[in-house]
Order: sequence, then structure tokens, then C-alpha cells
Amino acid sequence: MIGFDIVGFIISWLTLFGIYAILSLTLNMESGVSGVTNFGKVVFYGIGAYISATLTTYLILMLNGVDIVENPPYNINGVILLGELGSKNPVLNIGLFILSVFLSFIVAGFVGYLLSYPILRVGPEFVGFTLLSTGELLRIFLLHFEPVGASKGLMAIPNPLGWIPDSRVRETLYLIVILAFLALTYTVMKRLLNSPLGRTLKSVRDDETAALCMGKHVPKIKALVLFIGSGFTGVAGTLLSYYFTSVNPNMFVPSVTFNAWAMIILGGMGNLTGSLLGAALITLVDRLLTFITPLLGITVISPDYVRWIIIGLLIVVVLIVNPRGILPEKPIKTPALQQVEEELKK
Amino acid sequence: MVNFLQYIFFYTVFSLPLTLSYRTTKVINFVHANFITYGAYTAVFLHGVLGNSSIVIAAFLAFVIVGGMAVLDNLLVFTQLQKRGSSPAMVMISSMGLWIAYRYLLYVLTDIMHFYTSKNFVSYGRITYSDIPSISLAEFNLSQAFIASMVATILVVSSLYLILEKTRMGRAMRAISDNATLAEISGIPRNLVINLTWFLCGGITAVGGVLWTSFSGAITPEAGDSMILQVFTIGFIGGLASLLRTSIGAIIIAFMENIGIAFLNTYLGVPVSFRPFLTFIALLTTLILFPPLGAGGGLPYRFRKRGLSQ
Repeated sequence: MIGFDIVGFIISWLTLFGIYAILSLTLNMESGVSGVTNFGKVVFYGIGAYISATLTTYLILMLNGVDIVENPPYNINGVILLGELGSKNPVLNIGLFILSVFLSFIVAGFVGYLLSYPILRVGPEFVGFTLLSTGELLRIFLLHFEPVGASKGLMAIPNPLGWIPDSRVRETLYLIVILAFLALTYTVMKRLLNSPLGRTLKSVRDDETAALCMGKHVPKIKALVLFIGSGFTGVAGTLLSYYFTSVNPNMFVPSVTFNAWAMIILGGMGNLTGSLLGAALITLVDRLLTFITPLLGITVISPDYVRWIIIGLLIVVVLIVNPRGILPEKPIKTPALQQVEEELKK
Repeated sequence: MVNFLQYIFFYTVFSLPLTLSYRTTKVINFVHANFITYGAYTAVFLHGVLGNSSIVIAAFLAFVIVGGMAVLDNLLVFTQLQKRGSSPAMVMISSMGLWIAYRYLLYVLTDIMHFYTSKNFVSYGRITYSDIPSISLAEFNLSQAFIASMVATILVVSSLYLILEKTRMGRAMRAISDNATLAEISGIPRNLVINLTWFLCGGITAVGGVLWTSFSGAITPEAGDSMILQVFTIGFIGGLASLLRTSIGAIIIAFMENIGIAFLNTYLGVPVSFRPFLTFIALLTTLILFPPLGAGGGLPYRFRKRGLSQ
């Protein structure tokens, strides 16, 4: 194979894997563990991406003394200026990155918290649909809202590591940043799942009435889960916007949500390691298709469509053949359970 | 005003089958969006590839094809899942998977057809049918789409009424939607009735899709998906149970989307493209103020002020 850049392939795969794994981990927490059928993952993802994109582009121009009324970041002058100014000041870039990670966590989480209110009293069907339509509305809003670039989106978002001249080193460092965030998400989710809250969540999923009768405040718990899950999804959106250095409304179609769903269904609902595995497998196939297709030279059928057909059928087939996924859900490790196991071993 | 009536017809034809299928089979069916699109594309392919210009033939074929598609979905996916005892949420997720597969399958089909006929199927123009009479009332020229959808809506509503109220089949359907187990015990062939319901629902929705081709200026493979918000909101207003309330929902949403947005546009300068937001507000209002309490397994919480409950 000529021109197959193996290192570049692995870096781009791992980067995509890191971002999608955050999505699938949080989705697993919301849907697999606590039973909120979140079909609106893309809302929080999009909010995170757009917040960081808007914040960074506007602030960089403003702090460099450019008049943003005359040269807003979404028109051509703004993009050129951003290209010039974007990678001059490392401290500013990193500061903006931290600020936007923080803000998108808060805002996306808050939106998730608010959205939990109308959906509390209806079953999973209605919840799923309401969140799904929220996603479409966000896209319509972004398509027609001029300050964030309408249908063109925002371009030339300065990468926090943009000041590093060598692109390979830069990509690797950014990959490490993403994997660090993934590790953080995984740890937080793991701790949550193995805490008393995690067990309450499972009880809410299995039988809401019973959980309510046991004195658990189900609405509050659902709102909390949506807050945490959406917050981390917002961070994933931020990472995405800096990775692609551009955002546009058509990146946030509902298909993104189904991608994450396919990952958790393949990997196993309610199993965090499973969602990591699912994310790895699906992003690997995705990247391979993107890298291999130009070599095959098929023009009639676009590989993009084939990929989505595969994802859709995968969800259906896995649900019918093996609904527990590759790694089935395991009982939560509590000190009491461990003690019992040790006693049994003796 | 004509648009308002026009949309009432469309929304009624699209959302009645949704309510009917949910209350009989308890599957929330996202493939409903594909039913609309596939109905429309049956007409488009007939027109573009075979040169058909009769709406009756198109509607009939769409009814059969999409009805068959719905039955296949039910046999291959939904029944299998329900047999395994999957939760309703799982069945819904599988319908979601089917939705995405069907949607991109249509894109592939349009690409293949484009390859053979070199016509643009991804954005197909309005189809003029030869067998719809054009009627002029006083000064009004009624468009083909208006006449066709009016006739079709009246046909659909009256035939649904007749089927549900006057035939054995309709009684069986209503019995299953009230209590499936009891109905099965009293000797109703449950699977047969459910399959027939799917066929009917898919077919009616597809006819709606065919009508859409005589109205919309650009038919795209996402025609049904862009309608899904409105159709499901209408279904929710009807609580996914009552056909009458669903029709009222269709009128409300059509009113908000046509007259409401025109009003806002004139007085507040809200762009017309923000039309779906009104529907979304209607959806949230329905969920908060008049929730279909406990629907789909939710809990009928009532939020009260603290003092009251003690």
C-alpha cells in the first residue's frame, strides 16, 4: 500500500477514539445505568463545541485589539486574522482552552439539568424523542444564527497547542491531552457507578416505582445524572472543536448520537469497559474506511452512506442476537460483596 | 390560509397512523419518518425512471411497498425483540437503528438511480400529476396538491373510522390496544391483527408521502425526517392513544406553524425558518402542563408546593 501513513493513522484513530469514548462513557452512565434514554447526546456535544469555538475566536480577536464589529470571526477577514494571530501567545491559547473546557462543562450540564424537567413524568419513548428533537432544533438554530457563522460555521479556531511548529509533535501532545480527559471521565464514571449513587441509579432503571417507594428522589437523581453526563459531553465537544479547528452545524446531526449508541450497545449496556471497547472498535472501522476508500476507487456508492447503514443494522442485529453486548454488565463491587466473595473462597 | 388547511391535511395523514400503530403495538416507531420518505420516493422513482404521471398508481404502489416494509420490520425486528422480552426502550432503540439504516439506504438508491438516469433525485422537483382535476372556486385556484390531499384525508379518516368502528378487524384492533393479553385469550389472532395494523399504518403514511410530492418544491431523502418533530408532537398531544385528539393536535400545530409564525414574523421580526421552535414549545408545554401521564412506563409525578403535600 503506497502512501499509507501508519503513524498518522494511529494518531487520528486514537484522537477520535478519545472523543467518542467520552461520549459513550457518559451515554452509558445515563442510558445503560440509569435508564434515561438520551437520544440528544448531540445537543450537549454541539453546545460544548460551539461555546469553545465562539469564546476562543472572539476573545483572541478582542485581546489582540481587532475590532470585532468590523472583522467578526465568521467572515473572511476574521478568518485570515485568526490564522495570523492564533498561534502567537502560548499562554493565551492554553488559558482560553482551560476556560472553554470549564465553561462548556457548566453550560452543557446546566442545559441537561433544565431538559430533565419536562421529561420526568413520561416513559423512555417520550424522553428519547424530546431530546432527539432538541438536537435538531439546536442545528436549525445554529444554521440561522449569524454571530456563530450560520451555515458556514466558525473556522480557524486556534488550537491550544498551535504554537508548536512541528505538526506531528503537536498532534501527539493534543492526543495526550484528550486521553487525559478520557481517563478523568472514566475515573469519575467508575467512582460514580461503584458508589451508593450508582446502585440507586440502577434501581431507578430497573424499577422506578420501587426506587421511589424506597425513598429515593427519582427526579432529582435523573437531573443530577443528566447534569454530570451532559457536562462531560460538553467537554468532549470542546476537544472536538479544537481538534478539527472548525465547527459547522452539519457536524452535529443526530447520527452522532446513534454512533455513540451503537458503541454502548456493541460494548454492553451498563459496562463502562464495554463502552471503551465499543468506541475503539467503531472508530477503528470508521477510520479504516476513510483511509482505505480512496485506494479502492468506488464512485457510485458513497462509503459514508454504507458506514451509516452498517451502524444502523449493527444496533438492530446486536439487540436481537446478543442484547447484553460483548462485555455484559457486572455486579457493582461493594466492600460487602468483596467480603462475601473472600469468605466464599476460604 | 390555504397553506394552513393544506398542512392540516398532511399532518392528519401523517400522524393518525403513528397513534394507531403505537396504541396497538406499543412500539414507538421512528421508522415512521422513513415511511413518509419511502412513500414519496416511490412516487419520485415512478415518475423519474418510468415516466408515470398518475397519482392513483403511485399511491397504490406506495401503499403496498411501504406497507410491506412495515410488516417486514415488525416480523424481523420488533416481534423478535418482544419475544426475547426486551424492554420497550430497547425496541425503540432498534427502531432508531432501522431508521438510520433505511435513511442512508435511500441515499444509496438515489445515487444508483442517478447513475443510470443521470437525473437529480436528491432534490427532486414538484411532480405534476395528470389525473387530478383542477378546480377553480370563484377567484381561488385550488392547487393539485390541495385537491389531492383533501380527497385523500377525507378518504383516510372515513375509512379508518369505518374499519375501526364497523368491522370485526377494527374491533380486534381496539381490543388489542386496550389489553393485548385479554384479547389474545378471547381468541383474537394477535399477530395477524398486529401485522395488518402495521400494513395499514405504513400504507397510509406512504400515501401521505406521495401527496407530499405534489406539494413540496424540493423532495429530498430527508423529507420525512424534517417532519418527524411535528408528527410526533401531534401524536403526543393526542397522548398516542386517541385518534380524535391527534386530529385536534394536527389542527393546533398547523395553526401555529402557518398563522402563528406569520404573526410573529410581521410583528416581532422572527425569521420564518424558526418555525420548528414553535412546535418545540408546543411539545414542551404538552409535556409539562398536560403530560400523557405515565405514558410509556413513566411515573405520574405531580410537582406540588411543599406546604400542600403535608
